[in-house]
Amino acid sequence: MNFDLTEEQQLIQDSVARFVSDNYDLKSRLTLAGSKQGFSDDHWNTMAKLGWLGMPFAEADGGFGGDQIDTMLMMEQFGRGLVLEPFFASVVLGGGALKRSTNADLKTEYLPGVLDGSRKLTLAYAEEQARFDLHDVTTSAREDGENYIVNGQKSMVASAAAADQMVVSVRTGGGQIDEAGITLLLIDTDSEGVSMDNFPTVDGLQASEVTFKDVRVPQSRALTAPGDSFELLRAVANDGILALSAEAVGAMEILYKDTVDYTQEREQFDHPLSAFQVLQHCMVEMFMEYEQCKSMLYRATLETAQQGLGAQRIVHALKHLIGKQGIFIGENAVQLHGGMGVTEELRIGHYFKRLLVIDAQFGNSDYHLQQFAA
Amino acid sequence: MDIQLSADDLAFQEEVKAFLAENAYPAGEDYNKWRLDWFDKAGEKGGWDIPKWPIEFGGPGWSPTQHYIWEKETAVAATPWDMPFGLSMLAPILMGYGNEQQQQRFLPDIRARKVNWCQGYSEPGAGSDLASLKTKAELSEDGTYYTVNGTKIWTTMAHIADWIFCLTRTDDSGIKQQGITFLLFPMKQDGIEVKPIITLGGTHSVNMVHINDIKVPVENRIGEEDKGWTYAKGLLQHERTGLAGISRSLVALENLKAQASTVTRGNGTLMDDPAFRGKLAELEVDLLAVEFTELRSLASASTGSEPGPESSILKLKGTEIQQRIQKLTVEAGGIYSAAWGAKPVGHSFARGGMGGYLSSRSYTIYGGASEVQKDVIAKNVLGIKRSSK
Ligand SMILES: Cc1cc2nc3c(=O)[nH]c(=O)nc-3n(C[C@H](O)[C@H](O)[C@H](O)COP(=O)(O)OP(=O)(O)OC[C@H]3O[C@@H](n4cnc5c(N)ncnc54)[C@H](O)[C@@H]3O)c2cc1C
Repeated sequence: MNFDLTEEQQLIQDSVARFVSDNYDLKSRLTLAGSKQGFSDDHWNTMAKLGWLGMPFAEADGGFGGDQIDTMLMMEQFGRGLVLEPFFASVVLGGGALKRSTNADLKTEYLPGVLDGSRKLTLAYAEEQARFDLHDVTTSAREDGENYIVNGQKSMVASAAAADQMVVSVRTGGGQIDEAGITLLLIDTDSEGVSMDNFPTVDGLQASEVTFKDVRVPQSRALTAPGDSFELLRAVANDGILALSAEAVGAMEILYKDTVDYTQEREQFDHPLSAFQVLQHCMVEMFMEYEQCKSMLYRATLETAQQGLGAQRIVHALKHLIGKQGIFIGENAVQLHGGMGVTEELRIGHYFKRLLVIDAQFGNSDYHLQQFAA
Repeated sequence: MDIQLSADDLAFQEEVKAFLAENAYPAGEDYNKWRLDWFDKAGEKGGWDIPKWPIEFGGPGWSPTQHYIWEKETAVAATPWDMPFGLSMLAPILMGYGNEQQQQRFLPDIRARKVNWCQGYSEPGAGSDLASLKTKAELSEDGTYYTVNGTKIWTTMAHIADWIFCLTRTDDSGIKQQGITFLLFPMKQDGIEVKPIITLGGTHSVNMVHINDIKVPVENRIGEEDKGWTYAKGLLQHERTGLAGISRSLVALENLKAQASTVTRGNGTLMDDPAFRGKLAELEVDLLAVEFTELRSLASASTGSEPGPESSILKLKGTEIQQRIQKLTVEAGGIYSAAWGAKPVGHSFARGGMGGYLSSRSYTIYGGASEVQKDVIAKNVLGIKRSSK
């Protein structure tokens, strides 16, 4: 066993860290988040140029042959700056689905653009009635000659407004909550019958409600054989959880360290706040939970990447811990900053909000604890 | 001890219910006009517009049980928007320490909700350690006015307030609790600059207030010079008792249950989720207990006069419960709690749920941060001394 980074991994980590510290101070981030697109094309091009967008793809697909460990290293740094570019939606989710596709033609046609940044993807999987169950799918695809006719609605689709295509889970067979009968389709966002309601999310990112009304999609756009996509979807969701958890760990680090710094600067009652034992203990708890989350992140990532037994269960454990402790750390960072903690002027509030959203993405803390215990 | 409401109390409850039903807001009507009328009508009932004011100042002189009934009924009814600063914070100070002229000048407008007040205590360097405040007030040579200079922060509603009650420093030679003077002055005058501070939920309620060379006549000083800390401390107790919000939390919990039962999950709803139900139940248990803590505190306050140390417990428990309800609302909203556009997405309660949760984080900061409140209880209630003998 070995927790050291390879030389290459160290290089990536350093270069992402440099990018974040050069570009993602709070003010720049707020300006970008407030712009119409919500992220920077320049940054996106930089990411493409530095090869980050191709990192977790096989060399045969034109990528760098990296895996979840490389994604983790990048996402953790992104989390330290709350990076806005749609790396997660396009590379981890959309690209992650496509690279697992058994449809070779589809991969050949669409993957290169994902890797060079000229094409952006996302994944549309959530539905209102489903809460957090990936297999609860009512969006339907009816066969019609060479095509599917898709009807239904997908919720809270990340970075959809920026996407060229989305990978959509649809039901081609089975009942509402059956795992069998789910098919993933690659659908152009500008297809006739697709309408999007775009809105900001509380963490400064963007999402959309997407409605499909008699949308005609060639059957050749299916990622797997009809009705066989669920395992692929689950694998992508697991990658998503790993990536979000890495981002969360990066955000937690900022939160606890900023709090340690602030309490040493701010004085009340003729002492720095850090002199008060109750605050010291609180910060030690924040630190401990951060370390626990990081350990669980490594564990789940390594088990998934290296196909250890029981990886699925560890992924549930990870998402449970990240959701719960992320909010714990965020709430206490705010509390220990006093009034300053609840302002938009300090960055901690923004990190806290991101952690709140991460808890809800791909199932919240309670949901994954139940899956873990099941 | 007796938990039953007496026949008189039941009759009072009916009367309150009838009043609230008769004066409910008729959709479409001018809200502000309805609001002021509502308080007038409550006043005609005999001080129902100022339930907590003592009889000699027009209050209804209710028993603890009547207060309890009022809180419960007004929590479910849609009563008009109100602000605590004049009504619940300044008024008791005016009654206790203001002179008759000040009482006559300020109390009627507070009662009529005509004048909005804000509280100018905290400063950038004086939060939990309020007594270290530095905003300077210098008495003129002829002794007729103070010149005030300094900066206040976190001043809620300063941008709409007409007046401020403000703690100022008139002497810094002794211990810091001495030399603080309690002044009242208008907000809309040259020399006062109000800058918004935007909080986590993207809302504007708190402000930075710069005070630059304004003149405040000595008639606007409460009590004696340098004694303001004593007056303010009494006031902080009143502020804290008002912050527990138990009755409103009970209503909020019922709302949350209704909301959760609209969230589907598998073949059922979120109300079938054992983890969620467990958290709801724990909340309810705590609320049932704290409701009685409040009643015990009300009962003891009705025999003495000042709210006792249990008011600190109420603030801590009450705000913690409010935060837990908000947090569960965000959990119930699931991924839709993240949507932050103009209108809600998915579950209709989710947008407001996230906003409410974010603002609830400050409940354990203002009105005495929880850590400091616990210090107060350790010292004053448990009698724990800091240093060993
Ligand atoms: C939304 C909001 C509205 C407000 N409205 C008003 C208003 O209208 N008027 C007004 O005057 N003020 C108002 N305040 C200010 C409020 O009273 C202060 O924020 C509060 O007193 C805490 O002070 P601080 O923010 O400076 O935090 P600090 O005092 O810096 O405290 C930071 C942290 O340190 C902890 N701490 C401090 N001292 C100790 C100690 N001795 N032992 C252990 N822990 C300690 C605190 O508990 C807190 O967690 C408002 C604040 C907020 C957030």
